Amino acid sequence: MTTGRARMLWLIAVLLSFLLPVIYRNPYHIEVVASAGLYAILALGLNIVVGLTGLLHLGYAAFFAIGAYTYALCNVHLGCPFWVGLLPATVVGGLCGMVLGIPAIRVRGDYLAIVTLGFGEIVRITFTNLERFTGGPNGLLGIDHPTLWIPGRGIYDFGVRSVPYYYVIVVVMWLVAVGCLRLSGSRIGRAWAAIREDELAASCSGINIARLKLVALGVAAAIAGLGGAIFAAKQGTITPDSFDFILSVMILAMVVLGGLGSVPGAMLGALVLGTLPELLRGFEQFRMLLFGLVMIIMMRARPQGLLGNVQIRRELLVRSDTA
Amino acid sequence: MSPWLLFAGALVIAGCGRDDRVIKIGFVAPLTGDQAPHGEDMRNGAKLAVEHANVQGELLGGYRLALVELDDQRNPTQAVVAAKRLVADRDVLAVVGHLNSSCTMPASAIYHQARLLQISPVSSNPQISRQGFDTFYRTCATDDLQGPAAALFAVRELGATRIFIIDDVTTYGRGLANELEKKLRELGAEVLGHEGITQGEKDFMPLLTKIKSLEPDLVYFAGMFPEGALLIKQRLDAGVGGSFMGGDGLFDPVLIDLATPEAAEGVILTTIGSDIHQVPTAQAFVNAYEERFGQVGAYSAYSYEATTIAIWAIQQALQNNRNLFSRTSGGVSPVTERRQAVLDVMDEFAGHPGLFGVQRFDEKGDSLIRDIGLFTVQDGRFVFLKTASWE
Amino acid sequence: MSPWPLFCQQLVNGLTIGAIYALIAVGYTMVYGVIQLINFAHGEVFMVGAYLALTVCLLVGASHALTGIALVALCLVMAVVAMAGCGLLGWGIERVAYRPLRPRPDNCLTPVGASRDGHTPRLTALITAIGVSFFLQNAVMLVYGATDRRFPALVPPLRWEVGGATVTVLQVVIVATGTVLMIAVQGLVMGTKLGTAMRATAQDHKACWLLGIPVDRIIVITFILGSVLAAIGGILFGLYYNTINFHDGYLTGLKAFTAAVLGGIGNIPGAMVGGVVLGVLEGLGAGYLSSQWKNVFAFVVLVGLLLFKPTGLLGERVAERA
Repeated sequence: MTTGRARMLWLIAVLLSFLLPVIYRNPYHIEVVASAGLYAILALGLNIVVGLTGLLHLGYAAFFAIGAYTYALCNVHLGCPFWVGLLPATVVGGLCGMVLGIPAIRVRGDYLAIVTLGFGEIVRITFTNLERFTGGPNGLLGIDHPTLWIPGRGIYDFGVRSVPYYYVIVVVMWLVAVGCLRLSGSRIGRAWAAIREDELAASCSGINIARLKLVALGVAAAIAGLGGAIFAAKQGTITPDSFDFILSVMILAMVVLGGLGSVPGAMLGALVLGTLPELLRGFEQFRMLLFGLVMIIMMRARPQGLLGNVQIRRELLVRSDTA
Repeated sequence: MSPWLLFAGALVIAGCGRDDRVIKIGFVAPLTGDQAPHGEDMRNGAKLAVEHANVQGELLGGYRLALVELDDQRNPTQAVVAAKRLVADRDVLAVVGHLNSSCTMPASAIYHQARLLQISPVSSNPQISRQGFDTFYRTCATDDLQGPAAALFAVRELGATRIFIIDDVTTYGRGLANELEKKLRELGAEVLGHEGITQGEKDFMPLLTKIKSLEPDLVYFAGMFPEGALLIKQRLDAGVGGSFMGGDGLFDPVLIDLATPEAAEGVILTTIGSDIHQVPTAQAFVNAYEERFGQVGAYSAYSYEATTIAIWAIQQALQNNRNLFSRTSGGVSPVTERRQAVLDVMDEFAGHPGLFGVQRFDEKGDSLIRDIGLFTVQDGRFVFLKTASWE
Repeated sequence: MSPWPLFCQQLVNGLTIGAIYALIAVGYTMVYGVIQLINFAHGEVFMVGAYLALTVCLLVGASHALTGIALVALCLVMAVVAMAGCGLLGWGIERVAYRPLRPRPDNCLTPVGASRDGHTPRLTALITAIGVSFFLQNAVMLVYGATDRRFPALVPPLRWEVGGATVTVLQVVIVATGTVLMIAVQGLVMGTKLGTAMRATAQDHKACWLLGIPVDRIIVITFILGSVLAAIGGILFGLYYNTINFHDGYLTGLKAFTAAVLGGIGNIPGAMVGGVVLGVLEGLGAGYLSSQWKNVFAFVVLVGLLLFKPTGLLGERVAERA
């Protein structure tokens, strides 16, 4: 696909996403797409770790939770407004990602998967048990909805309307997408790809593996934290059971389906797997089955995913006699 | 093209619109997942209520009633999505749901913002009605009643002085256990300990062994029946003496099956309402339900009650202002006006004969029927003991 | 209850669950040894074993404690059915999900997702493993329902007092079965030709091919063996707790994996030691500290081990890194 055509498609996608609430006035549908958009933000973040850098991360929901709780705590205890609260959520998320990363980067791939899984569960159970700080199983209630001061119109409270959150999510999603595209094309992105392809060779080329892995984990966690803050503000109440292992697997399935390492792929995967449960409302009990199948079939038939990254497609058909 | 043809075509298209003589009641509960049986019990109760209403004849103005069933899988995020979906449906004038307090809580904000009546059959966490939403009502007793009632029974009638409390660290379980503990301390009983277990956990031997060493008179578990059954069974293996009590989450025949009737013998449960079989006003319901769906579940009656009240409120609103619901080609009344009309009826709600007696609500939306039932397990079945007394 | 008997009791409880963990852990450890893959689906195989045994009981109509010949016969039937079913499942998983991702000896192209040196873990294989795990969990849920199912307490509740602690006959059976099977497996791996072939495969695939060892067949046998042991673990689990749920595989599987790592991945006696140690630690932690944090405790042990002492207590037995 030529760059010109690719640009056109991006433009159309952006325009469509902004015009959707105008064309389609049903708040329920907007809600569903907004949810998918939030998943897309998460998928973009996870894509950096799993798709670009090749580190299997099974505890991504934990950083989503950390961001959500950070914002919620800031808001409920310190009265922090939404737009300001986004910052601590993102920063704390990113820091936690890096803190987890420090011991984890020395661990080989499959163990890393288990470590991240364990961390995800530790975070969730801890949030459930620490009643005094996190509200325990009840979670945190009474999180303020965002308000916006519109010149000439006064204060606009988002409340539980669907449309304002939709726009916030869409804007953030596109910003994150642009950021990810930039990153993957940059030196850092190429270094990540090198780590994914062959860690030993990469380190021999002078790449600081440890530092780059940390950066990847940190950036991804920060994005999840940002998403978490938006989620908390939108829901109004958050409980620990929204951030379970199934969510981590779901985001992973989205990245895998859309294409490991592909930015548009992550968004497409999120759109498909995020809206499917709503479309198949009668078949919800098959949800886990579907995710499992997606992952198995994708890895057998088309591991680069639907919109697989060109680099990955090339490196997957490697010749083993060079080992 | 001839303008007459166009006009005729437009009329046909307008006439082929959707059937606008439908009024919908939304229903949300976990219909899949591990609490599906409870959700289905509720759904059947609601369905029965709608069927009865439709049998009695069409609502005023020739409207039919329909039930819109949605699944929240006891997941708060899904509950919010379901709520938004119901809110967006212009024909929905009331919602019965949800089941779990953790779902009802965030959803209630959505219904409140949309000025849509919500009646919860069985969400018992007290916090929900304290949010100040005038759209929220519930037809069950709350945990700040269930806990103290259990405490009173334990101390006054079982004579327990040394009690150990276990909960499953959920919104419901922790809430109920905290209420119980508060009251027990007030009554001067000794609370030996209050610990949490995790849902899905199987091995309670370490905890029970520890409890055995403390020699309690009574162990109370606030949680759901899978863990309850295991605790009941394993406490015998561990040699824990004394009585065992539980909350309404254990009130399911599967509990006795999983724990084995021998181990469950003598276990006492509190429930968020009296025994439906004992209430004379409910006999007709019980018979009708058993004929249609089989055995009455723990939550079916509450759901039936909630739905009946919602239907009654809609009927009243229709009676008060027929024009509000008319759909002449002149103009369609906005949805919010119709929903507000239903809410206004509920505001003036002075009592409605229901299954458990005359149903009334306080200013928070909580039911004024504050019966807490007490059941015991005898010969492998639940047997009604009495209604908890507040003396 | 004075401290010593209490401690003994917690010890007995811990040993019992530890034996079950050990049976499952051996499967993880053996598979990891031969193909360096964490078989995420192994926990589900264990769970399926329990459900298959339950199905046998349902078909036969058993629901209460049995004695003598009836008990032994039923247990044998359950064991045979569960082992066969799980063995088949293990074979199927290997064939369908994992084998296509391994480097083939007969052609030069490494299939999609395989690593170059055959040793570093493959992203695609891991993702596939998770997919299989999720698929199996959901499949069982759809067939048997999402709520807990009662597993009949077939073993009569005889108990003895030992050192102030109560020990039931079932607990003895579980620990004894676990021990016997572990010894048998270790004997197999150390003393037989098959075992030698398995150890060779764990060291270097290419060398095995060169020597004519049927690597694929050995791997399949490893999977089947691990699955069979997991099946026994599932039956014992069902008999002990009397309720089973489709979600049991996930949690118990993770703990069993912790046990495998604790003992040293690839190391079979290590799996047994790890299982027992984890079971006892868990029991003591829940008994003396807090039940609420029991799972966190297990996860912290897991994460801590992987980060700081991945070789475990008895040392790893996997191929050297390049």
